[in-house]
Amino acid sequence: MPINYYIFLSLTLFVIGIIGVLTRRNAIIIFMCIELMLNAVNLLLVAFSKMHYVTNVSKVTNAGSDGQLFVFFIMVVAAAEVAVGLSIIVMLFRNTHSVDVNFLNRLKH
Amino acid sequence: MGITQILFWILAITAIFSALMVVISKNPVYSVLWLIVTFFTISGHYILLNAQFLAVVNIIVYAGAIMVLFLFVIMLMNLNKETEPQKSKWLKLAGAVAGGCLLLVLVAGLRHTEKQMTEMVTGDIGLIQNLGKVLFKDYVVPFEISSILFLSAMVGAVVLGKKEPRIPVETEMRKVEETQQAINI
Amino acid sequence: MNALIFSAVSGVIMMFSSFLLNNKNSVRVLAHVLLLATIIANIFELRGISFFHIDTRGMLEFDRFALLFTLVANVCTFAFFLLSSRDLEKIGNHYSDYFSLLFFILAGIVVSSSFKSLLMLFLGIEILSIPLYILTGSDKRNLKSNEASLKYFLMGSFSTGLMLMGIALIYGATGTFQTGITVAEKVPVLLITGMMLLLFSMSFKVSAAPFHFWTPDVYDGAPTVVTSFMATVVKAAGFIAFMRLFAEEFGSIRPEWKLLVGIVAAVTLFIGNITAVFQQSVKRMLAYSSISQAGFMMLAIYSLSNDAKEGLILYAAAYSLATIGIFAVLVRMKDYTFEGFNGFAKQQPFLAGILVVFLLSLAGIPLTAGFLSKFYMLKATIDGGSLALAIFAVLMAAVSVYYYFRLIQSMYFKTGNATISGTTTGFKYTLAALAGITILLGIFPNLLTNWLYF
Repeated sequence: MPINYYIFLSLTLFVIGIIGVLTRRNAIIIFMCIELMLNAVNLLLVAFSKMHYVTNVSKVTNAGSDGQLFVFFIMVVAAAEVAVGLSIIVMLFRNTHSVDVNFLNRLKH
Repeated sequence: MGITQILFWILAITAIFSALMVVISKNPVYSVLWLIVTFFTISGHYILLNAQFLAVVNIIVYAGAIMVLFLFVIMLMNLNKETEPQKSKWLKLAGAVAGGCLLLVLVAGLRHTEKQMTEMVTGDIGLIQNLGKVLFKDYVVPFEISSILFLSAMVGAVVLGKKEPRIPVETEMRKVEETQQAINI
Repeated sequence: MNALIFSAVSGVIMMFSSFLLNNKNSVRVLAHVLLLATIIANIFELRGISFFHIDTRGMLEFDRFALLFTLVANVCTFAFFLLSSRDLEKIGNHYSDYFSLLFFILAGIVVSSSFKSLLMLFLGIEILSIPLYILTGSDKRNLKSNEASLKYFLMGSFSTGLMLMGIALIYGATGTFQTGITVAEKVPVLLITGMMLLLFSMSFKVSAAPFHFWTPDVYDGAPTVVTSFMATVVKAAGFIAFMRLFAEEFGSIRPEWKLLVGIVAAVTLFIGNITAVFQQSVKRMLAYSSISQAGFMMLAIYSLSNDAKEGLILYAAAYSLATIGIFAVLVRMKDYTFEGFNGFAKQQPFLAGILVVFLLSLAGIPLTAGFLSKFYMLKATIDGGSLALAIFAVLMAAVSVYYYFRLIQSMYFKTGNATISGTTTGFKYTLAALAGITILLGIFPNLLTNWLYF
């Protein structure tokens, strides 16, 4: 497949994630949309890693493997972020019994 | 059109459809389930791209662990109903238009990238043996450093998650009511 | 490497200290000792003696710029510990955990200021931000703190998503994560798109306009002690990472981004200063003032010369010391509005005098470090080819004088009963020492910048 198809696919997923962040009010769903964005990036990285593998395989051994390793690190960070993020959301829920992000603006002053 | 092309298109369309459903679904539990479908299709793409190990890890870590955590929290908060207040129609439209414009700009910009191909079936860098060697030879420093990240996330989860013991239940309930009145839910 | 390992290990030790030491005083003393050890280890490395020899495969490079900034960040954190560590106690029940999170942030600062690979940039920025999300929300019963934490977290992870997309596109264009790429005549579109996304996400992290909207709410909602750390050391670290990224990775495609960075700097200066004028709360005013100071620091990225490098380090030191000092006093005040400071000079003439030094430094009045660092920035900008931007920055600095002097005015020329609690003699002497450093750096900036070369 041409690499363009993968670029467009993952950009579409990425933008769907962004739209979700902009349009939803439930903090958990916003967070899930962010995870979707990260996954779009992962897909793009793997596709690029494959592309660099194909072009460089004759010159370098293990060409393109750094792209796949980056995906590991993204997963690591995402897991840590989920732990922290969900505990923040649970903490907020304990105090307000709501996960609506709009009340954040009403409490401004 | 070969079998891999057909698979690519099926997976791509499923991925986009289920991603859209994540955003559209009103019930948070459905959103989680659609997100899991998206993760599975992305894993399918990984297999097509010969990243077998990542495909497995993606399912185990994302679909298995992270999404279960999400589901758990949603169930814990009793949010499995369509209780979410909606943003106004215009705000939603504005968000969608802004996102669409961003996509348009990105796609228009990247339309002319060189037409390099990604061969579907060749290559063995995605196998656990090769990845492991690179990870523990070249990437050992970032690997160790990411442990700091995990430690801080762990400390953080404890700091935030531990219930403060001192306040009795009645005061707490009154406080919750006060806040709810303050924000007019 | 010394500072990285020392601060990571210190974080772990602080983690264990919560159940090994049951006395809050000894926890605090332990934290001070560990940070002091980190500073000394870092000075050793700055003098060429590294305790550890670890092959990072070119992913981290501890050059003098990174080491000197690490030193500045550590010293500012030490000042923060001396002044405000007692106030950390009041946030919640996890005293030693807060210290360990602060040490982890310091480790993240080392990584993000000495990266040579985009992977390290990403990890460093995340290690910086994740403990901060937690510290922001650490006042668990306070709804404002919860709100700030959630907002910061969602914004932060959103911008991380943008950053990762940028990194992925750059990887597509160049095939490597190492910085220092060389590009041919025609710059690939993938690279430019990736650069733009990274610019946006880094602007998010350092709260440069138009991506600053989260800053006032988060800074206002977070416990004041945490804001003091977040608005100073962490923000400066973000700028160092920003500068390193754009100097090393995108230095070769400078014409593509120079104008954009200039615009971001100008808009940041404008919005930060104009909105700060209208604030009633000193804490919120300081939040906006941190945005306007960010505009000045953006000028360093605009010009990218040796002057800019020296200036950025000096700026980081001057701004952090002054802001930490003001926050340390603010934490102890009863009322955070400007009216709360009415008549402060009558009750606490010594503290008021020191506050004036800090405020003058922030406003950029001569004989203070703030003036010289602004001067370096302007000089670099004019050398970088934009007189107009420099003039605009001076105008905006003049606006900033208004709101800093407003605080001085309410301290000295208005009557009221400002109430402050918990000012010990040690606290006063530490503040005086900080003010002394601020003036010293304003007269002899070489004391700091010489470390870059010798």
